[in-house]
Amino acid sequence: MFKELFNLTLLQHTIRTATPLILAALGGLLTQQAGILNIGMEGMILLGAFFAVVGSYFFGSSLAGVALAAIIGMVIGLIFALFVIDLKSDEFVIGIAINMFAGGLTVFLLRSIFGVKGAFSSPDIVPLPKLNFPFMDNIEFLNIIFNNHTIFIYISWILVIFIYMYLYKTPQGIWLRGAGEYPDALETAGISPRKMKYTSSIACGVLCGLAGAHLSLGYLTLFTENMSANRGFIALAAIIFGKANPIGTFLATLLFGFFDALGVRLQVVGVPAQFTQMVPYLATIFALVIVTKRQMNKGKKNKEEAINLGE
Amino acid sequence: MERLTKNKNLQYLNSLFISIFASLLIGALIMIANGRSPLVGYGALLTGAFGSKYNIATTFAKTVPLVITGLATAIAFRAGISNVGGEGQLYLGAFAAAYVGITFTGLPGIIGIILAIIAGALVGGAYGFVPAILKVKYKVDEVITTIMLNTVATLFTAYLVNYPFASSQGKMGGTEMVAEQFRFSRLVKLSTLNTSIFYMGIIAVVIYYLMEKTSYGYDFKIVGQNSIFSRYAGIKDKNQMVLAMVISGGLCGIAGALEVLGVHYRFLQHISPGYAFDGMLIALIVKNNPIGVVLMSIFFGALKTGSIAMENSIGIPSELVSVIQSIIILFIAGEAGFKNIYKNWKMKKTANSKVGEKIV
Amino acid sequence: MYEKVLELKNVSKQFPEVLANDNINLDIRKGEIHAIIGENGAGKSTLMNILYGLHEPTTGDIYYNGKPIKMTSPLDAIKIGIGMVHQHFMLVPSFTVAENIVLGTEPTKRKIFVDKEKAIESTKKLSETYGLTVDPKLKVESLSVGVQQRVEILKALYKGADVLILDEPTAVLTPQETDELFKVIKRLVDESGKTIIIITHKLQEVLSISDRVSVMRQGKMIGTLDTKDANEKILAEMMVGREVLFNKIDKKHIENRKHEEMLKVEKLRARDNRGLIALRSIDLSLKSGEILGIAGIEGNGQSELVEVLTGLREKESGQIFINGVEISNKSPRDIRELGIAHVPEDRLAMGLSKDASISENILMGNQHNEPYAIKGIHLNKSKIKSKSRKLIKEFDIRTPSEDVLVGNLSGGNMQKVIIAREFSFNTPILIISQPTRGVDIGAIEFIHSQIIEKRNQGCAILLVSAELDEIFRLSDRIITIYEGIITGEFKEGEISKQEIGLYMTGKNIQI
Repeated sequence: MFKELFNLTLLQHTIRTATPLILAALGGLLTQQAGILNIGMEGMILLGAFFAVVGSYFFGSSLAGVALAAIIGMVIGLIFALFVIDLKSDEFVIGIAINMFAGGLTVFLLRSIFGVKGAFSSPDIVPLPKLNFPFMDNIEFLNIIFNNHTIFIYISWILVIFIYMYLYKTPQGIWLRGAGEYPDALETAGISPRKMKYTSSIACGVLCGLAGAHLSLGYLTLFTENMSANRGFIALAAIIFGKANPIGTFLATLLFGFFDALGVRLQVVGVPAQFTQMVPYLATIFALVIVTKRQMNKGKKNKEEAINLGE
Repeated sequence: MERLTKNKNLQYLNSLFISIFASLLIGALIMIANGRSPLVGYGALLTGAFGSKYNIATTFAKTVPLVITGLATAIAFRAGISNVGGEGQLYLGAFAAAYVGITFTGLPGIIGIILAIIAGALVGGAYGFVPAILKVKYKVDEVITTIMLNTVATLFTAYLVNYPFASSQGKMGGTEMVAEQFRFSRLVKLSTLNTSIFYMGIIAVVIYYLMEKTSYGYDFKIVGQNSIFSRYAGIKDKNQMVLAMVISGGLCGIAGALEVLGVHYRFLQHISPGYAFDGMLIALIVKNNPIGVVLMSIFFGALKTGSIAMENSIGIPSELVSVIQSIIILFIAGEAGFKNIYKNWKMKKTANSKVGEKIV
Repeated sequence: MYEKVLELKNVSKQFPEVLANDNINLDIRKGEIHAIIGENGAGKSTLMNILYGLHEPTTGDIYYNGKPIKMTSPLDAIKIGIGMVHQHFMLVPSFTVAENIVLGTEPTKRKIFVDKEKAIESTKKLSETYGLTVDPKLKVESLSVGVQQRVEILKALYKGADVLILDEPTAVLTPQETDELFKVIKRLVDESGKTIIIITHKLQEVLSISDRVSVMRQGKMIGTLDTKDANEKILAEMMVGREVLFNKIDKKHIENRKHEEMLKVEKLRARDNRGLIALRSIDLSLKSGEILGIAGIEGNGQSELVEVLTGLREKESGQIFINGVEISNKSPRDIRELGIAHVPEDRLAMGLSKDASISENILMGNQHNEPYAIKGIHLNKSKIKSKSRKLIKEFDIRTPSEDVLVGNLSGGNMQKVIIAREFSFNTPILIISQPTRGVDIGAIEFIHSQIIEKRNQGCAILLVSAELDEIFRLSDRIITIYEGIITGEFKEGEISKQEIGLYMTGKNIQI
């Protein structure tokens, strides 16, 4: 039984499950680094999934689907930024409103555009292309785990590195982090933190849109109601767990993807999946407690040091 | 220099109506884009919500969990702690009530029911206690923890009903039915409206009384408004926050218990389609005013019921209502921002004429 | 003739509620150290923010080297050559020293990536040029406050500042760090020809470092003088003096009155929020029927003393007795029950909820007591209302109704709400901090008479105020506080306003 559970296919499924999480989490960590807690990722993913299907179905091209998903993500990201940054609304209220909006709008449009309830699938929806690397075909390990995935999986990995470089190696990335940690420092250095926050929010919308496109055009080519199925919140958990660092967050999504894939398989052999599914959420809460506890200890230490200096 | 705006509530009511009206207008535009007449659409919605005894009953049946979860959120928000975890507290409370109803089948009705409701309240309250303690002790953001705990609760109850408490008919995502004497009677034929609305009424009165008329409600309010002031004046602000969260969780637990005892007669894996989220949004919209929660819940209940009738009679998908509701939230959340922008713009216009005025 | 590097002509800044700068004229000479002093709220920070492009003046002109300039953002100020060291450092804690110094103007390689080596190199060079040693690779959060300030100065110099504005630079420093900073400032002027503007309210520092000094009060520029012509007395008078002199207040001397000791403090020691010692060893005794005034320049431990006495701050050692009862580790509530009422220095942060109505604010503290809460639970609206109305009338709170939200009242009326509430507890002890800050003249008169009234009724009153006039007008006894130590104690009439400055600045003692 152990062999049945833990084999190469499990890793393959882990990667598949993790991909939309990676994309969304990369977006969310940008807003997180810019000082915005984005709860609206769930809705952004859902809208992306729906409009990817719309684009792919009507234009007969997966690229059109992806583009439409990205555009709708951008628009939602812009609206989110407008309310949170300029109208100074509570970020969590706006996030929840976006989730509700997405849930309602996608089902509404599903019925008015496609005239179906629950789910829409059609042979006319063009799926994302899958990449085959012939050199891996004969090496079982590589073939199962790394070969024949949709292009998004490879893109998501490249993005991890790309965003890491952006955040830590380019001036703009440094400003974005500064805007989150201490906007006044940026302002007095003559850089607008508002601009950086807007950038992060729009980028987050686009990436969540892409995550949605991967859900609906990746391994399945269909849209179902509430297709995002909590992935926005798991992505949020990964961000917090990975301390909003792209590498850490990437590893967290793989970890959470692994437990999800494992849960599906456990269910097949009759073991409840719910406990493996709980892992991301519980792990995040524990991580939060540990982090703040450590910070509090550090604060205490700093205070003691300050006291020594004062004498 | 003294701008004495006594009628701040009136002003807010004003913006609220404008927001609702604007959202309905956007809804109308969507209907037109969809090739339907908004007049016919909203007409169908209205008759669907209030057109007959059955419709009215259904509207009020939908109102019950919204009022309770809305009040639950309002009381926590008022004390300055954000309970986004109502959904999880509701699920656990519902399961606890179902557990009592299928385990203690020998109890007489009224005692059994009270026991089931108390069980729901205790479990929900305990589940609210966790994030509250994490907030006051470790400063862990309660918004994140309660969101995370929601899913943990739904997963945990899903496990319970599919494994140890699976109904004898197989894994259908529900427990056994609760014993006969635990089931609330229906009030209107075919509708799910049941006697739980009376419990809701009692809860609404008690919470209203607590929040608006007592010294405890006063303490909550001041802690939420300015915790430093409350500490200065001798209130233990952290204790108040924890207490408010436990009450909030308890109420959500009761909302779940009433769903079990009044509507489904068993715990179901998907017993709530997001009641606590709707309740939270209602509380946000009415700024935690308990009477406002009740009225807005009826409005939301009517929208939900009416939207289904609207879909059945003229084919406009009922989800239009969710879209409208979410836009109301956006407008309300942006209200202060819109006003500020307007104020700043106005101030800029008059700034020059003001220079030279004495300092106050 | 001196070369004017910076000149302000008739600069005013109007905020929605206040005129923060009122027709300011100021010139800064090249290569001088120019101090700008004034009490909190005098408008110094607004003025500096105008010079740094963070605020645009509502009216008036600014000239740099004789040319008119217009600044709409800090970027403009940086380009012109004005740098600022903020009181709250503008450093991102998790970034390294080098990253912070080059923030906003990072050197790049291949036009995309930050050139970290170059940033570190420049930082090193800079720190050598000006003799300000820092390790460019360390994270700012791991540095002491003094070193962080050094980074902040380097940051301004890196951006090419010729005029350096230092906002309350010594507020967060230890005495050793302050000495170090002053050496740095002198060096910057002497060796690199920089011009320094230093904002502070510590008179001694002004005298020891500056070439000229300008005094601000209530948004206005009171005057500029050469430091060699100034002394503490002159400056203190310019800073705290009021334009309108009060009439002598009628204080009844009640003969043969029993003065019982109500509050006694022994060897009290406490730290401030940063963990630095704020109270070194305070002894005081407060008797019934007297007003004990604490005179001192702000930030010398007064706030901490009041907080410790009211249970809002933990003490480190020493003892406090209320009516003979030791109150260590007692909560604010317990202390209130023992008989202390407290008018806090910061109205909005601590004394009120501006989102609550007048009557709700007045109720505070009595919400669980009969007759305002029946059985401690049910709020008795009519009793609350009648009490509110009574106090509104008694304390002359200008409002159409007790239901008006406090946030809508003027500063003076807000203060009257607090005073009404705290005085109506009828406690034997009253601690009153800055009772008339930001309050208009009419309300000041009224508040003063209420305080005297309380004293005449036998209340023991501890009065903390930055307004010397207020202290002299009301107190039966005055103690002076400097750097957390009591430097003098005087009976009414024993000392003049002119002399007390020496005690307020610690000139009479060696620490």
